[in-house]
Amino acid sequence: MAEESFLADDFLRQLMSVGEVDLLVGVPTYNNASTLGQTLYSVEETLRHNFVRQRAVILNVDGGSADETRQLFLQSGEGRDANHNKGLTSLRTTHRISCEYGKAPSQGLALHNIVAAADLLRAKACAVISPTTTNLTPSWVVNLLRPVYSESLDFVAPLYARTRFQGLLVRDLLYPMSRAIFGQRIREIYCEEWGFSGRLASQCLEKDVWREEAVRARPEAWMAITAISVGLKCGQSFLGPKIAPPTGTDIVEIIRQTVGNFFWCMEANQAQWLSHSNSQPVPTFGPDHELSLDGIPPSQEKIFELFRSGVSELEPILGSILSQDTHAQIKAIARSDRSQFHFLTELWVKTLYEFAASYHHAVLNRDHLVQALVPLYRGRLCSILLERADSSADAMETQSEAVCKEFERQKPYLVERWTVNR
Amino acid sequence: MLSQDENLWYKDAVIYQLHVRTFCDSNGDGVGDFRGLTSKLDYLQELGINAIWLLPFFPSPLRDDGYDIADYTSVHPAYGSLQDFKDFLAAAHNRRIRVITEMVVNHTSDQHPWFQEARSSRENPKRDWYVWSDTDSRYQGVRIIFVDTEMSNWAWDPVSKSYYWHRFFSHQPDLNYDNPAVREAIWEVMKFWLDIGVDGFRLDAVPYLIERDGTSCENLPETHEIIRDLRRRIDAAYAGKMLLAEANQRPADVRSYFGNGDEFHMAFHFPLMPRMFLAVKLEDRKPIIEILDQTPQIPDTCQWCIFLRNHDELTLETVTDIERDYMYDEYAVDKAMRINLGIRRRLAPMMENDRRRVELLTGLLLSMPGTPIIYYGDEIGMGDNVYLGDRNGVRTPMQWNGGWNAGFSSADPERLYSPLISNPVYGYQAINVDSQRRSAHSLLSWTKSVIQTRNAFHVFSRGSIEFLNPSNHRVLAYVRCLGEEKVLVVNNLSSSAQAVELNLQAYKKHIPIEMFGRNLFPRIGDPPYLLTLGPYQFYWFRLRRI
Repeated sequence: MAEESFLADDFLRQLMSVGEVDLLVGVPTYNNASTLGQTLYSVEETLRHNFVRQRAVILNVDGGSADETRQLFLQSGEGRDANHNKGLTSLRTTHRISCEYGKAPSQGLALHNIVAAADLLRAKACAVISPTTTNLTPSWVVNLLRPVYSESLDFVAPLYARTRFQGLLVRDLLYPMSRAIFGQRIREIYCEEWGFSGRLASQCLEKDVWREEAVRARPEAWMAITAISVGLKCGQSFLGPKIAPPTGTDIVEIIRQTVGNFFWCMEANQAQWLSHSNSQPVPTFGPDHELSLDGIPPSQEKIFELFRSGVSELEPILGSILSQDTHAQIKAIARSDRSQFHFLTELWVKTLYEFAASYHHAVLNRDHLVQALVPLYRGRLCSILLERADSSADAMETQSEAVCKEFERQKPYLVERWTVNR
Repeated sequence: MLSQDENLWYKDAVIYQLHVRTFCDSNGDGVGDFRGLTSKLDYLQELGINAIWLLPFFPSPLRDDGYDIADYTSVHPAYGSLQDFKDFLAAAHNRRIRVITEMVVNHTSDQHPWFQEARSSRENPKRDWYVWSDTDSRYQGVRIIFVDTEMSNWAWDPVSKSYYWHRFFSHQPDLNYDNPAVREAIWEVMKFWLDIGVDGFRLDAVPYLIERDGTSCENLPETHEIIRDLRRRIDAAYAGKMLLAEANQRPADVRSYFGNGDEFHMAFHFPLMPRMFLAVKLEDRKPIIEILDQTPQIPDTCQWCIFLRNHDELTLETVTDIERDYMYDEYAVDKAMRINLGIRRRLAPMMENDRRRVELLTGLLLSMPGTPIIYYGDEIGMGDNVYLGDRNGVRTPMQWNGGWNAGFSSADPERLYSPLISNPVYGYQAINVDSQRRSAHSLLSWTKSVIQTRNAFHVFSRGSIEFLNPSNHRVLAYVRCLGEEKVLVVNNLSSSAQAVELNLQAYKKHIPIEMFGRNLFPRIGDPPYLLTLGPYQFYWFRLRRI
């Protein structure tokens, strides 16, 4: 019996009509009618002003919106060109096509359709743009597409301007760990906007991983790691501050999605990273970071209490994940007074590497294992807030760099625990 | 007396544009002439065209290929005599081929007796036949058309020590149409040729007849009044004669030259031409659809004239800067191919000698609304020589055969008015009428066939057009309708095979019949009509309800 295609017939018909393109901009949506207009305006402005000669398609992949997001997407287009742009129009038709991949939102299914379209249309450069970003400007789209189209990069991660209390998970865990493991200094592989090449899209499409939970949750990071693993060129491009309404996703779910995805990617690409050490800078367009001192720190007291209670409640589980020494050190700091509390970087890195190794060896249900990291992250977060409350932006960046170095320094320890026979 | 319908002959015409100098030399002096042209009328009849547009053949110093006229009522001696012209005209009419001549009304040569008199003294009665000024600051801001050669629209006349106005070359002073004597003199010239029997005039550089301070000196109301006056006189005394406007403007501006059917019968659709080339290079119908959307309706008795290439550069005046840059990059990489705001190349070299693209563009030309003009030599795929200067590279001798001087002249090759195209790809040994006549599959044979098909169906010349908008933008599809006659045209603008679904619900139950092979295609039903087309392929279907 022939295997069923995930591409709907109507979508395929639309792709046939578009034909080969140079640029593809994917816009995954789910009930985004209120902000989609600004997103499309930015994308169209980008194409009109920066890619007038290129064949382009704007592709909406929708997870079953109930607010007429798709209808809004398909409206206007060419008519808008004539009315709004004082004679400046792209030379070619800017195609707009839309498909509904399901009745519930899924980043993985959305990206699966986008990469399939990119492959079938032989797109040279692609970008995924989030309609939830309320301050999206045409420069964002250009900054993601141009390095791919003009500089032949295969994956372009965004760089955002942050306040000092934004993106702590990225700065203290995801970036330093991904940099140490996969050897490329890409700050934001977990993102909502990114660029990629048709070449990478084709490579990703061939992988039989699209049903994996980790890939479905955070396909962009998997895509970045795939690019690194197969030796494609990666880079990053500065976009500016990102403003988006809160998603309402709690830290447990965020860690399940991101750290769970990362551990899964480590497992899937172990042949690539086990033998590598150190890290390399990647081509960066614009500043490689921008940190402001704005922002109000979260309440440390509550975070600390959650850390302490978590360490206590999860003691048996942590005991099966961590080495005796590490577990003992964590229990010790959990008993300390908050004013004296320090979750040192060395211990933090060692903890994470032991979690990663235990994930690899499947010492317990992997999802439970990842969730067990949550109270420890809270402890580390509390420690950072205490230590860096008065740091300057430069000092915070120096501290972040020190964390990265520590991850790289301890990588042999990870390799040792990863490769040991249990 | 012609019937009302016969008076509209220009709507059904397929016009062949040529310069008598380029076509055939009968007396071996290296320059084409009217006797030579007359000897080739059988060829033109065989091709299927039914009108000839002659470029200027009047006495002239030939500093602008004859558009600098020194005598309006005679024939340049190099091309023969007035009697030779009359003989040619009669022979053409015998073959039911009409003849349109140039009427360069905006300016004369500075060698014209009118100008010589005008400059001789400020008191001369003809002084006011041209536009003079003591300063060169009048009409500030009016654009210069020949930007590559002219710095100003004013030129200093050392004889009468004042400036004269010229919109084109400085040796082409503009006539002063505010002077009624000038209008009468031009009408006398037109009457002269109408009495001989020419069927129409192409009026050159029409928008520039009148000058007014504070304006662009283009398309002014007074210009239209002059045209209406000429038209009234023609309609009164010369029914069935046609006026064709050369106004290189956007369609909305050109529309005014049709008036209420009381100005020009026809006008060139300049902006469509570059956009056809754009569409094929971009592989996207957008440029064509956009410009036709911007094209206003015209009176029933009027018609657009459409063309691919002509004796001038492929003008890019009416495209956007972005489009112009793209056209230059794609069609004129070598700077020698560019002149003024355009590209001095012929059709076949622009299409890289790709027969499929030449045919596609010719098919578009012959199936879109308007009277098509075929530039001499394009029917055999002649090449050009961009190194000849000015626009002479597209005005080389017609290539009749692979023998001496391409069969154009018996003169020594050095004596020819222009070198022949002789490179291995486009040279006369490879590209010529005789060799293509021998092959049923040559470009010439194909062109004959497609003209014959067009001529057989008035729907092409007089029918309405409705664009279909299939989601595949590489496909340009439209339906031409005239009464019960319906033709579906589907063009693949791309270099790759395409599938297209057409919404033909309005033609449900009709049977598409492919017009060249006369093969039946499946009857149109409820679902979208699926067609596949090879690279640059096009179909013409008659839609018949049987």
